[in-house]
Amino acid sequence: MSLSRLAFLATLALSSVSMFTLPAAAQVTVKMWSIDGDNGLYTKLAEDFNASQSEVVIESRLLAFDDLVNEALKAFATGQAPDIISLDNPDFALFSSRGAMLDITERVANSDVIDTSVYYEGPLASAMWDGKLYGLPKATNTIALFYNKDLFAKAGITEPPQTWDELLEDARKLNDPANNVYGITFSARAGEEGTFQFLPWVQMGGGSFKEVNTPGAVKALEIWKTLIDEKLASQDVLSQGQWDSTGTFNAGNAAMAISGPWELGRMAADAKFDWGVALLPTETEGGPRSSAMGDFNLGIFANSQHPDEAFKVIEYFASQSDRLFPEFSNIPPRSDVPLPATGDARTDAALKVFQEQLQYAQPRGPHPEWQKISKAIYDAFQAAMTGQMSAKDALDQAQATISGIVG
Amino acid sequence: MSRFFNSLRDGVGFDLVLVGAALLFLLALAGLPLLYNVLMSFQQVDMFTLGTLIRPWAGFTNYVDVVRQPEFWLVARNTLIFVFASMAGQFVIGFSLALFFAQKFPGAATIRGLFLVSWVMPGLVVGAIWSWILAGDFGVLNTILKSLGIIQETVFWKSDPNYSIWAVVIANIWLGTAFNMLLLAVGLAAIPRDLYEAAELDGANAFQRFWTITLPMMRSTIGAVLSLGLIGTLQQFDLFPAITEGGPANTSSVAGYWSWQMSFQLYDFAKGATISVMMFLLVLFASVIYVRSTRHEVRG
Amino acid sequence: MTRPYTPWLLLALALTLAALYLFPLYWMYVTSLKSASEIYFNPPTFWPLAPDTSIYPQVWFGRTMSTFLWNSVVIASGVTAITVILGTGCAYVLARYRSVWVDVGLFLILMLQVLPASVMITPLFVGFNQVGLLNYPRTAVVLAAAAKAMPFFVVLVRATFMSVPRELEEAALVDGNSRVGAFFSIVLPLARNGILVCAILTFMSAFGEFIYSKSIIQEKNLQPASVGLSGFLGPNSSDWNAIMAYSAIYVTPILAVFVLLQRRIVSGLTSGALK
Repeated sequence: MSLSRLAFLATLALSSVSMFTLPAAAQVTVKMWSIDGDNGLYTKLAEDFNASQSEVVIESRLLAFDDLVNEALKAFATGQAPDIISLDNPDFALFSSRGAMLDITERVANSDVIDTSVYYEGPLASAMWDGKLYGLPKATNTIALFYNKDLFAKAGITEPPQTWDELLEDARKLNDPANNVYGITFSARAGEEGTFQFLPWVQMGGGSFKEVNTPGAVKALEIWKTLIDEKLASQDVLSQGQWDSTGTFNAGNAAMAISGPWELGRMAADAKFDWGVALLPTETEGGPRSSAMGDFNLGIFANSQHPDEAFKVIEYFASQSDRLFPEFSNIPPRSDVPLPATGDARTDAALKVFQEQLQYAQPRGPHPEWQKISKAIYDAFQAAMTGQMSAKDALDQAQATISGIVG
Repeated sequence: MSRFFNSLRDGVGFDLVLVGAALLFLLALAGLPLLYNVLMSFQQVDMFTLGTLIRPWAGFTNYVDVVRQPEFWLVARNTLIFVFASMAGQFVIGFSLALFFAQKFPGAATIRGLFLVSWVMPGLVVGAIWSWILAGDFGVLNTILKSLGIIQETVFWKSDPNYSIWAVVIANIWLGTAFNMLLLAVGLAAIPRDLYEAAELDGANAFQRFWTITLPMMRSTIGAVLSLGLIGTLQQFDLFPAITEGGPANTSSVAGYWSWQMSFQLYDFAKGATISVMMFLLVLFASVIYVRSTRHEVRG
Repeated sequence: MTRPYTPWLLLALALTLAALYLFPLYWMYVTSLKSASEIYFNPPTFWPLAPDTSIYPQVWFGRTMSTFLWNSVVIASGVTAITVILGTGCAYVLARYRSVWVDVGLFLILMLQVLPASVMITPLFVGFNQVGLLNYPRTAVVLAAAAKAMPFFVVLVRATFMSVPRELEEAALVDGNSRVGAFFSIVLPLARNGILVCAILTFMSAFGEFIYSKSIIQEKNLQPASVGLSGFLGPNSSDWNAIMAYSAIYVTPILAVFVLLQRRIVSGLTSGALK
């Protein structure tokens, strides 16, 4: 046991002592870190929480998405960590697996507010480590296939594609370089977003994050490569995020797009055509479905001085699930909260599809070294799609790296 | 004792105080972090030990691991391309502009001032703008090049492995030209006019005058520009996440970005520090060039 | 070279070059006025279909930009002050002598800049935490960023001091001035313009300081504008026209000041000051 480990335990012990010695009457400040954006969700809920009672005050800090984890690491290493943090679900295990997060299994079991049985399995699994619960999903999301119904009609296609081969065929029919229209757009970026988009294909192809070189996964990557090689998708999918890729769909420059429910608001306002959403196509007719699972988990740092108050905050966030969609366009991570109609028929229909797709959503990991696994995956599909390696070789190389990590 | 204070006021002591204050400041705020990185590159580091100095010793394993990474040689190649192409571009364009604006014509000084705007632009903003300009389909650079007939096919500056590093180089040249032009213009203005007049009387043409007067007289300025330019280029970070994220397939990743990625995306702090220590060697080289260049200075 | 139309040809060429060079700036302004989907149009539009300026007040108030910009000014001023105070003396001494030790000094100053800010930030964060400076986050950022700005300032100002005739300082010493007296009454005034210009340049680059601020300054109302900008760039949404509008608001005031001052900056550096 290293010295710092001892110091860490000592802090832990001290903090549990101070819990009893603190005067109960004083107002407790709970520090919460989260990402900026997300339609102002964190700021608004924190304000409402502060107004709703007088015992606990949330002091909220907003960080850019790319900075959240490494700021938290630095702060944790120097004893400056906040009480609560909202982490992207694949990043959660980095902290929970090493004892940095507070085990809240007991607290949740005793809570009147939180009932884990109504939560979707995937999001909940991403907050678990070694059978214990270290956090609670704030919301959830997934990806599906958006398609431009006007362009489909023009190309004489009646139904959205059901299989990978149909997707490729449809993309060929829809592709119209003369009018600057690509068959499809998605994100194959060198980052977490790229892995988020590619992993569902691996899973549908019989693989998992631990096994990325199955024949199905190789076929998936070959299809992705074909989309680029035949110019059925812009080569810039290699550097664009999902938001920018779907932007080209909204502008009418791509006939299909793979992205998530966060697009719905902008699409309803901007797209000047009829559009719909379909489940991600499977490898074969009726084959296994899969999709990515996104969004954030709220957790309490193990060395928080105010775990009880911090847990109250988490309970409050859970109790506001019914507000998530109407106010912040977030999908609640649980099945017992109905999504109210938005008044936009296309959006309502799309939401139904996303809710069905969510049942197949799988978490990335959880694994403490997820980021390295993720890099192996996005390096592989980028190497194959730019023609530096064959799909098989690239995925074999990724598998070698991943095997070294997962053991 | 009074001799000591006297020397502070009126002797070498005065010089030592002036230099010492600045050097102490730099040693504390730049030297210590540097040592910390060197130390970290020989240790095993995780999130629990990030804040301490005593960590398990790793010897040279981090160095071996870094060199064995499949992308190591690619990143090394990219770093060299990025550094030399950026510096060459900035220097040639900067020098040409400085020479051009040294001519006498109406508004020369005012228009030259406009070229300095890239100096005041934060890297983050420059990265975002160039990311838009360089986009393949909706990027304006391709539209312009196509309408001029320079290219027929869409060039995916950010996503084609043959061009991705050049996408960042283009943006970096734009960013650094102001700095080069400014310093070189200052150097040009310091060359006495009569040298040129004498040379013209001797019948030297413009090229000969440039070669025999301008270049030799500019030696120290050029040394300063190049070494500061090298350091600036190696430190360039903001453009990478904004334009290519080092992709596709690491074809535009350079040492500085890779080091950041190791530390802050893969949370492998020791390897991140190791890469940064390797960069040290490059800057060592630059500093030697600069310090040598000052040997030829003439005090006016 | 003496034909009367040559200067006008040169002027036309200069304007063309400037237009080319400033195009990215133009693109920033134009993009900020486009709608969320128009920015993805292929081919792109060179002028917005329906320019929408409402984004500017929206970004200004929605993002509390006045606070952000004020913090940027505070930080940049602090960086400039420290850099000028410490850097000027250092540059003077390094210009005054011609010895191995001067080489060593210059060498050290450059070598200490070997690491990018993104790598320096972890040790600085740990160190500042040890000495309690994290409770004064803007001061901490000022100190860290001044160290980054120092080498550039020293190298430039050293060149300024090189051009101050040494005989003037020696004459002052002969007249009975002390070294301190000669420095403040003779050398500094002569190098004033060059120092001032380098100070302005330092201020301007410190105005964009980003990496240290985002880690060290946690409280939103103490953060500079660069950190405020980074908050826009999310995983599932990037409000590009708002980002461009924010950037435009961010750089326009400093560009305006710069265009007003630039004649003095350029002439201060090119004529006399450095010579």
